[in-house]
Amino acid sequence: MTVTASRAPADVPETLLDVRDLLVRFRTHDGVIYAVNGISFELGRGERLGLVGESGCGKSVTNLAIIRLLPKPAGRIEGGQVLFDGEDLATLPENEVRHVRGRDIAMIFQDPMTSLNPVITIEEQMVETIVAHRKVSKRDARARAIELLGMVGIPRPETRLKSFPHQFSGGMRQRVMIAMALALEPKLMIADEPTTALDVTIQAQVLELISRLTTETGTSLILITHDLGVVAGMTDRINVMYAGFIVETATTQALFERPSHPYTVGLLHSMPRVDAHEGEPLIPIEGRPPDMRNAPRGCPFAPRCAWRLDRCWEDNPPLEPVERGVALVTTGPGATHRIACHNPPLPDEAELGRPTRPGHRPAPAPEGQLDELATLAAVVDGVTAELPR
Amino acid sequence: MLQYIVRRLLSAVPVMFGLSIILFAFIHLLPGDPAATILGQHARPELVAAMRQRLGLDLPLWQQYVNYMGDLLRGDLGRSFVNNRPVLDDFLIRFPGTIELTVAAMIYAAGLGIPLGRFAARRPQSTGDAIVTVVSLLGISVPIFVLGLTLQYGFSVQLRWLPATGRIDPRLTIEQVTHFMLIDTLLAGRVDAFIDALRHLILPAIALGSIPLAIITRITRAAVLDVANEDYVRTARAKGLREQRVDGRHIMRNAWLPVVTVLGLQVGGLLAGAVITETVFAWSGVGKWVVEAIEAHDYFVVQSSILMFAFIFLIVNLIVDVGYAFLNPRIRYS
Amino acid sequence: MATTVQGVRPGVAIEERASRGLWRDALSRLRRNKPAIFGMICITIFVTVAILAPVLAPYDPNKGGLGPSFAPPSSEHLAGLDKLGRDELSRVVWGARISLFVGIVSVTVGLCIGGIVGALSGGIGGWVDTVLMRAVDVMLSIPGILLAIGIVAWLGQGLPQIMLAVAFTNAPIFARILRGSLLALREAEFVTVSRSIGSGSGRILLRHMLPNALTALIVAATLALATAVIDVAGLGFLGLGPPDPRTAEWGTMLTDSTEALRRAPHLIFAPGIAIIISAIGFNLLGDGLRESLDPRLKR
Repeated sequence: MTVTASRAPADVPETLLDVRDLLVRFRTHDGVIYAVNGISFELGRGERLGLVGESGCGKSVTNLAIIRLLPKPAGRIEGGQVLFDGEDLATLPENEVRHVRGRDIAMIFQDPMTSLNPVITIEEQMVETIVAHRKVSKRDARARAIELLGMVGIPRPETRLKSFPHQFSGGMRQRVMIAMALALEPKLMIADEPTTALDVTIQAQVLELISRLTTETGTSLILITHDLGVVAGMTDRINVMYAGFIVETATTQALFERPSHPYTVGLLHSMPRVDAHEGEPLIPIEGRPPDMRNAPRGCPFAPRCAWRLDRCWEDNPPLEPVERGVALVTTGPGATHRIACHNPPLPDEAELGRPTRPGHRPAPAPEGQLDELATLAAVVDGVTAELPR
Repeated sequence: MLQYIVRRLLSAVPVMFGLSIILFAFIHLLPGDPAATILGQHARPELVAAMRQRLGLDLPLWQQYVNYMGDLLRGDLGRSFVNNRPVLDDFLIRFPGTIELTVAAMIYAAGLGIPLGRFAARRPQSTGDAIVTVVSLLGISVPIFVLGLTLQYGFSVQLRWLPATGRIDPRLTIEQVTHFMLIDTLLAGRVDAFIDALRHLILPAIALGSIPLAIITRITRAAVLDVANEDYVRTARAKGLREQRVDGRHIMRNAWLPVVTVLGLQVGGLLAGAVITETVFAWSGVGKWVVEAIEAHDYFVVQSSILMFAFIFLIVNLIVDVGYAFLNPRIRYS
Repeated sequence: MATTVQGVRPGVAIEERASRGLWRDALSRLRRNKPAIFGMICITIFVTVAILAPVLAPYDPNKGGLGPSFAPPSSEHLAGLDKLGRDELSRVVWGARISLFVGIVSVTVGLCIGGIVGALSGGIGGWVDTVLMRAVDVMLSIPGILLAIGIVAWLGQGLPQIMLAVAFTNAPIFARILRGSLLALREAEFVTVSRSIGSGSGRILLRHMLPNALTALIVAATLALATAVIDVAGLGFLGLGPPDPRTAEWGTMLTDSTEALRRAPHLIFAPGIAIIISAIGFNLLGDGLRESLDPRLKR
């Protein structure tokens, strides 16, 4: 299934990251949490990939698993490979993974207010990153830090270097995080909801900065977000995740032009858009994400899906090309559009956000399965139904 | 920063003032007549009246308070009924013994408690963690006098490893210059006496330090666990720093903050515990002196010692707060 | 861009089923907390012994001359005899009464004093709060048992004085806790919510604020019982115990043992273990209650 550069067409980039059947579980006192359930995806050099989904769908866990920073001792990679530059990070000794972190793969986290150590100066936090991976003098590291702060648009970097995080605004702190992430010219930068905690006006600036600097340096990017609007202009390709599965993957353009999984359709319709027609309603995705403590059974989206069929309750569909019979390309602008769905919405249904084919009714839930659509109907009718536990 | 220190200093003033009022009120407002208490239950009324006059208890209350405050501000803590010496003089002679004991107990408690807490936090829910938890539970549940007596019995009576009582072998005559036994023995150039004094210090310090040890261990464990879950620790790991640096710099630098505060608060417990410890180990310090004064109804001594202990406790916590500000840039730069 | 939101989020209705009442939740969590169960067993032993002292004690605790002074433990006298030839075990059993009684009364009195001060402070606020909290600061600046020593030294020896002394050392802590939770709760979201849906302020206080403030106080009171047992024994050890020297009180009994450490080490262990068991019991139960009443602390 892996497509190597030699066999692929000319516009397929060389593979940098190849995640295969990644399985992550958390073993807690309350039971097992099925966080990531055997996902596979690739990332080419210089490629920018969006990872989209509601909170709790496994996006962040996927990335923590890639750099092996899952919360210990509960979180464990229980299967699969994370091939980065040909090396399997999932089995690499801790000491060697440490060198990949920060040097080859850099991360930017969601909340800049809590991601910088409050009692250590910006200077020390930047210098220690550089010194940890390169044999350079503190002076050179300091000069590099000043250069980096200038690059991310921090005024008077020489003096600001001595500051503590609380002396910066949220946006400025995220710039510092970006500068720190770029300090060692990593091959891959993972930005986990980098703008969610910021003011709307600052968000665009920070996104633009990430976009510009990664393009300039040829750094690959994985951008994690729940906001499709953010990935639209920032990424080449998008993986849509739901309940620890990738349910749709396509180039950014294809995904917006022809969303093919009911969940993606739902995401697009629950997002306010500037180009929405007068009176076009926002349609929320009904119900809640599934309880990840239950082992996956059937399609995870079935309880909330208006397109579901009987088999959706029992049989989890694999990720397959939308159009059968095409050669599989996993990276680059020619990447194959794939979805995991037994009954994908037709183009006009995707446009409207609900099934229109005559005679279709969502298949009823079998005994013991939570049906979010039925629950919703009951609440709307003003009848408080006894809910199955 | 300077502003912070000044503000913190000023905030201690009303507490000191309130302390003087409360101590004053205890003597003068609570039921019971100190004069009668001093003289015993069966004293003749004339004697009690004379004692009241001598203590100034016949004056109006406000005047009594003014006199009391005036004396206090002049450093006059009154005179002992027993030997008629100024209380302050005797206090200063005995205080070094208490300092020696409490400092040793603190070194023991912090020196052992902080590493133990870090050890337990690094392996939460492990056997090692469980043992540390049990030890710290015993620490706060075993009273000083029970632990002290047990240590004496085990290490002095049975094993004969360490002396049971006193600050130094009474056969060694050392000139008292500073009243710190460890310093005086060194000033006298007597290494053997120094070692003897050190041996005398071990058991009392362990007995006194056991409660702070337990509390410091718990707090350190909780603080390290807390900080270890912070986002910035994940950032530090994501930057590829060595685990020693993540632990030693990024975690501990923050975990110190609550630990330092608790260290300061433990001083109060140590001073109070010193009263019991000194009694168990016949350690000549302020604590033992207070107990003797209670038995002798020498109430100026009791009152002044409590005042001084509270004063020292406040001063120590003031110093701790300033130290906290140094450790915490959010206060330093505000 | 004119958009309307369609549909209702069913979240509210679903959350309802999860809440089963604070106390029942806490109780079920407490039942799973092994250390807390162990603590409760210790406390049960302690309380049973105290109540059934006349039945359980093999001898009259004050009857001397049962054998030679300082006789070591034997099959007749399981914990040996003390200086006056009294049965040590019987004295420890009777001593439980004093410890339990003084502990409960002093913590209750402390709760009343501290509760009133804390409620006034947190409820009224303003200068009342300032004055009362300064007073609390002052009391807290006098280290623990030293305050109790001072009070007993001035009021004279006696059980009521001891209880008052221990109550006074606890009261400021209770006052601060109650005030703290009242202040925090005044601004808490659910109080704002119930106020905005029109619940009267008395109802808010009773239904919402009090149960939350109470949980903190219950935990503190349980832990204070451990300290109280230790402090009472400490006062006894310093010779500030019950004025009648014959009274079987754990701390006073330990003082006697200091004189005869070499000859009769057994005199440390019986009262010592009794104090430790009761203190461990209350400490474990207090920690367990804290963990089960505050679900956020759940590991």
